[in-house]
Amino acid sequence: MISSSPTPSSTDPTAVDAVVAPPADAAPAAADPRRELWRRLRANRPAFAATVLIGVLVVLGIAGAPLAAKITGHPPNQQYTRALDAQGVPIGPGQRTYKADSTTPDPHGDLFLLGADRLGRDQFVRVLYGLRVSLAVSVGATLLALIVGVALGIVAGFFGGAPDAVISRLIETAIAFPSLLLGIGLAVALGAGVLNVIIVMAVFGWYYPARIIRTATITVRGLPYMEAATAVGATVPRLLRHHVLPQLTAPILIYGTSMIASNILFEAGLSYLGLGIPPPTATWGQMLSDAVASNFYRLDPWLALVPGVALVFVVLAFNVLGDGLRDALDPHGEHL
Amino acid sequence: MRRFVIRRLAAGVVQVLLVTFIAWLLFFVVARLTGASPADRVAGKNPSPGTVERVAHELGTDKPYYEQYAKYLWNFVHGNFGHSYIQGRSVSSIVFSAAATTLSLVCVALVIWLVLSIPIGLLIAMRAQSKTDVLIRVIVILGMSTPVFVLAPLMSYYFAFQPAEGKFLGISLPGPVNIFPLDGYVNLRDNPLEWLHHLLLPGFVMAAAYAALYVRYVRALTLEQLGQDYVRTAVAKGAGTGHVLRRHVGRNIAPIVVTLVGLDFGAALGGVLFVETVFALPGLGYVALRSILDLDYAVASGVITFTAVAAVAVNALIDVAQGAIDPRTRA
Repeated sequence: MISSSPTPSSTDPTAVDAVVAPPADAAPAAADPRRELWRRLRANRPAFAATVLIGVLVVLGIAGAPLAAKITGHPPNQQYTRALDAQGVPIGPGQRTYKADSTTPDPHGDLFLLGADRLGRDQFVRVLYGLRVSLAVSVGATLLALIVGVALGIVAGFFGGAPDAVISRLIETAIAFPSLLLGIGLAVALGAGVLNVIIVMAVFGWYYPARIIRTATITVRGLPYMEAATAVGATVPRLLRHHVLPQLTAPILIYGTSMIASNILFEAGLSYLGLGIPPPTATWGQMLSDAVASNFYRLDPWLALVPGVALVFVVLAFNVLGDGLRDALDPHGEHL
Repeated sequence: MRRFVIRRLAAGVVQVLLVTFIAWLLFFVVARLTGASPADRVAGKNPSPGTVERVAHELGTDKPYYEQYAKYLWNFVHGNFGHSYIQGRSVSSIVFSAAATTLSLVCVALVIWLVLSIPIGLLIAMRAQSKTDVLIRVIVILGMSTPVFVLAPLMSYYFAFQPAEGKFLGISLPGPVNIFPLDGYVNLRDNPLEWLHHLLLPGFVMAAAYAALYVRYVRALTLEQLGQDYVRTAVAKGAGTGHVLRRHVGRNIAPIVVTLVGLDFGAALGGVLFVETVFALPGLGYVALRSILDLDYAVASGVITFTAVAAVAVNALIDVAQGAIDPRTRA
C-alpha cells in the first residue's frame, strides 16, 4: 500500500496522501502479519539498512568482542605500559607500542587499531565490549519497562474508571519528574551494577509506553468487532489476549525500538557520571568520561571520538529503524 | 473555564505533593538505609557519645516519618529548603543562584533552537522530498542521535580549546584565538556581553538535539497544513508563499509549537546536567550531581523538588493558557 505513494521515496512519515487506510483496517488482506511487516520494512530502504546493521552489531557484540580480544591478543582490561609514552600519553589509532625507552615507536610492537586509553588498554577491543554491555543493558531495560508499561496501559485503557484514573495520574506525575536527576539519585541509592542500572532505566521508562498503549487500547476497545466478540461470550482474558494485544503489536514495536535508542544514551549517561556499570568493565559512557574528565582528550581527541562515534552510530541505527517501523506500521499515527 | 482552571491547578498540587513525597522518600528514608544516616554524616567521623542523637534531634530525624514529611513540606512552602551542612549554606541560597544560571542557559538554548529549527522546518516542508529535504533530514536524525555528553566535549575541543592553542579544525592559525571561553559563567548583572559569550557554546550544544527534534515537528506540522483545503483555496486566490506560511500555516501550527516548547522547557530544566558539567556552569544539574555524589541530601532533595515543582508549574500554566486559547483542549 505504501508503494502507491506518488513520490520516489516512500519513507516520508508525513506524506499525507501516501496511504489511504490505516493498517488496522487493512489487516485482513495480509495472510501472515509477520510476513507483511517484513515486506513493508524491506520496502523502506533506510529502515532495512538499519535492520541489517543492527543484526551485524548484535553479532559484533556477542561474537566480535571476544574474537577481537583473541585476534589482537589484548584482553579488554589488560593495561599495556608500552602503549603509553614517557609522559603517559597513550598511542593513537593505527600506532604500534613503544620500545622499552617509552619514546621510540617499535616497528614490531603491538598494533592498536583505535589507539590506547590513558591506562594503556586497547580502545578497539574495549569499544566492542562496550557495545555488548550497551546492547544487553538497553534491551533488558526496554523489555522490563515495556512489560510494566504495556500491562498498566492495557488495564487503564480497557477497564477505564477508577483504575484508569489512578494509572493516568501516576503517568502524569512520573512525566513531570526530572527523571535524569531522580535516576541519578536512585542509582546512588541502589549502587552500581548491571541489574541496578536496568532497574533504574526501567523505573524511568515505563510511563511513555503506558500512555501510548492506554490510548491505543481505548481505540481498540471502541471497535465494532470487540462488541461482537463480547456478544458471543468472549471472556475478558480472551478479549485481551486475542483481540486487544495483537492490535498493540505495532505501537509496542515502534516505541520499543526508539526506546532502545534512548536507553543506550541513558546507560551511557549513567556510566559517564560514574553511576552505571562499575569499572573496569568497558562501557562507552565511562570511556568517554575517562577521556573528558581527565582532559586527556585534549591531547588526543580520538579518546573521546572512538566511544562517541560508536555511540552515535548505534543510536542512529535504532532511530532509523524506529522511524522506518513507524512509517511501515502506522503511516497515519501521530508523528510528534 | 474557571472550573477547568481549578481542576488543572488541583491536579498540579496533587502532582507536587507526590513529587515532594518521592523526593523526600528517596533522600530521607532510603538514604538512611544505606548505612550513613543524615545525622551520622553531619556528626562527622568518630562522634562523641550522644552527638549523633543530639544532631538527629536537631535535624528532626528522630521524629516519626509522617511528622518529618509534614515539616519538610511546611518548610518547603515557606521557601526554606533546609541547611547544607556540607557547604555550610542554606539550601535555598544554593538552589536559587543555581536556578538563575540554569534558566540563563536554557533561555539561550531555547532561542538558538527555535531560530534554527523553525525556518529550516518550514523550508524543507515547502520542498518535501527534494535533495535539500533529504539531506537535512539525515542531519536531523544524526543530531537526535548525538548525546550532549558527546557533542559538548567535541565542541569545546574544536571551538574553544584548539583555537586557543592556535589551531582550528586542523588548520594552523597565525596565533592563539579565543573564540569561546573554555568554561565558567559570568552573571548577567555583572557583564551582559560576557554572560552571552559564556553561554553561546553550551547553549548551542544543548540546543542541537532539540533543534533537530523541532525541525521534524515543524516539517510534519507544516506538511499536514499544506495538504488542507484552506491552503489550496488561499493559493488559488493568488496568495504568495510567504503570505500562506505567515498568515495561514503559521497561525495554525504556532499554538502546537508553543505547547511543545513549554513541555520541553520543563524537561530541559532537568536535563542540563551534562552541559553544565562539561562547561563548568554552576547550574541546577551541576549542583544536583555534586550534592548527590557528596551525599548532601538536603541540597539534592531541594534541587530535585525545586526542578519538579517548576516543571509541574510550567506544564499547568501551559495547559491553562492552551485552554484559554482553544476551548477544545479543556479536557
